[in-house]
Amino acid sequence: MDDSQVSSIEPDLAVLIVQTLKLKVDPASVQPEAPLFGEGLGLDSIDALELSLAISQTYGYQLKSSDPDIKAIFSSLRALAHAIEKNRTK
Amino acid sequence: MRETPLIGPYDSDDVLAWSPRAPRTAGQFMADVYALAESLPDSPSVLNLATNRYEFLVGFAAAIIRRQVTLLPQSRAPHALLGITGDFPGSYALTDGDDSIEGIESFPIRLHESSMSLPAGIPQIPVDQVVAIAFTSGSTGRPMPNRKTWGALTAVAQATGSKLGLKRRDHVSVLATVPHQHMFGLEASVMLPITYGLVMHAGRPLFPADIGSLLAERAGRWILVTTPLHLRACVAEGGTVPDGGLVLSATAPLGRELAWEAERHFHAEVHEIFGFAEAGSIAERRTIDGDHWRPLDDVRLVQERDSWKVQAWYLPDPVSVPDRITVDRDGSFVVHGREADQVNVAGHRVSLGDLNHKLLQIDGVQDGVFFLPEERGDLVTRLTALVVAPGKTSEEIQRLLRAHIDPVFLPRPLICVPSLPRNATGKLPRESVIQIVRQWMEQEHS
Repeated sequence: MDDSQVSSIEPDLAVLIVQTLKLKVDPASVQPEAPLFGEGLGLDSIDALELSLAISQTYGYQLKSSDPDIKAIFSSLRALAHAIEKNRTK
Repeated sequence: MRETPLIGPYDSDDVLAWSPRAPRTAGQFMADVYALAESLPDSPSVLNLATNRYEFLVGFAAAIIRRQVTLLPQSRAPHALLGITGDFPGSYALTDGDDSIEGIESFPIRLHESSMSLPAGIPQIPVDQVVAIAFTSGSTGRPMPNRKTWGALTAVAQATGSKLGLKRRDHVSVLATVPHQHMFGLEASVMLPITYGLVMHAGRPLFPADIGSLLAERAGRWILVTTPLHLRACVAEGGTVPDGGLVLSATAPLGRELAWEAERHFHAEVHEIFGFAEAGSIAERRTIDGDHWRPLDDVRLVQERDSWKVQAWYLPDPVSVPDRITVDRDGSFVVHGREADQVNVAGHRVSLGDLNHKLLQIDGVQDGVFFLPEERGDLVTRLTALVVAPGKTSEEIQRLLRAHIDPVFLPRPLICVPSLPRNATGKLPRESVIQIVRQWMEQEHS
């Protein structure tokens, strides 16, 4: 897999996450491999719902919890960026 | 003593619970329940933490047969669970998967491949048996137990279905986005289907796309048990849903405009339930029809001095309504809002006094206050907290708070301040609190 392609939307996605959820962190400081939920950024299921709407509106990718990889997709900024790259329609 | 059957009118081969990989018939359900009931440890009470709705129901029913009371915690925060097991010594936890809580004996729910013939295998449960305790946050910092009898749960389910025009053995599937450990979730997504002999969906969809595809999975009519938060997400996201449904919303007030949009999106009537953990569901309305709530059958509102109380045959004592309401001559009523200490975040009610109490128990926190800012049209309005804790960062305090309160109530932002503008009586005028937040926001964005 081409790493430069995988990471290309990471900075934009970090900004989207921080703005959507009004987090008190600098988007540039979000660690690509750090967990988004629980520890790490400390997000919860309501954040996941808000984030799914923002991702759908921005990238045209509708997240589904029935997706067997959903835990992996939400595990980190990098994993989420990768899933969006693979499934985006805009 | 009067008794009623554990589950409503099902034949052995009727599907009781639906999940795409493993539908369970009513006969399999009773076999699962008896097998689990035999293997449960002896204890007066059990914490049912199962995330799968079907497995939760198996655990709940097995506990009822063993005359064990199911404890329904408001939060899964470890300290909250340990607090409850401390108050109910000898309790153990029922879990699905590998979930276990340190310090609490855990017992996994296992399903089997056998079935039973019905209705002979359906046990009768005394209506006065206490089957569940729902916890609410009191202003003292300790969770308040609300005891639920089998009669109360079945009566509410019966009355809710009757308001919605349900018939016994209707071919209806019930899908819910709300947790079954919540009073509304327990009543509408577990008790309603099993009382009427409907199909209960075992899952708990989160995203709008899940809701659409799960509703399309089963032919026939459906009921979606959900919250204004999920409805707003579904309306924003669009997509298609099959016809023939009904939406039941609760946990927070649903705006009339959103109700209209949701009716259009789901091609379905959107009804709301009004209730609170202390009394359970007490009234219903179709939101677009107006502000008035119609009390459920058996529910009566009576005035005592300047507050209103709920009376019903299944409530041992009248229960105070935690909201300010006005009641019409025909018994219908209008809700004007919560009493000051109670706030609602994304459908979860909490006492600010309780949160403040927990904040002040954290080492190094000298003073602090939670409050709910004005709503600004976001999907969710989160709490804000001002904290006096010299030498600590807001991240450190957040991390410590996480062990004590549900994540939905974690403050965003948590602002560290040198002192709080308490007045002579020790009270904090809301205006001064808002002023501090405004100054902080300006600094942050300058």
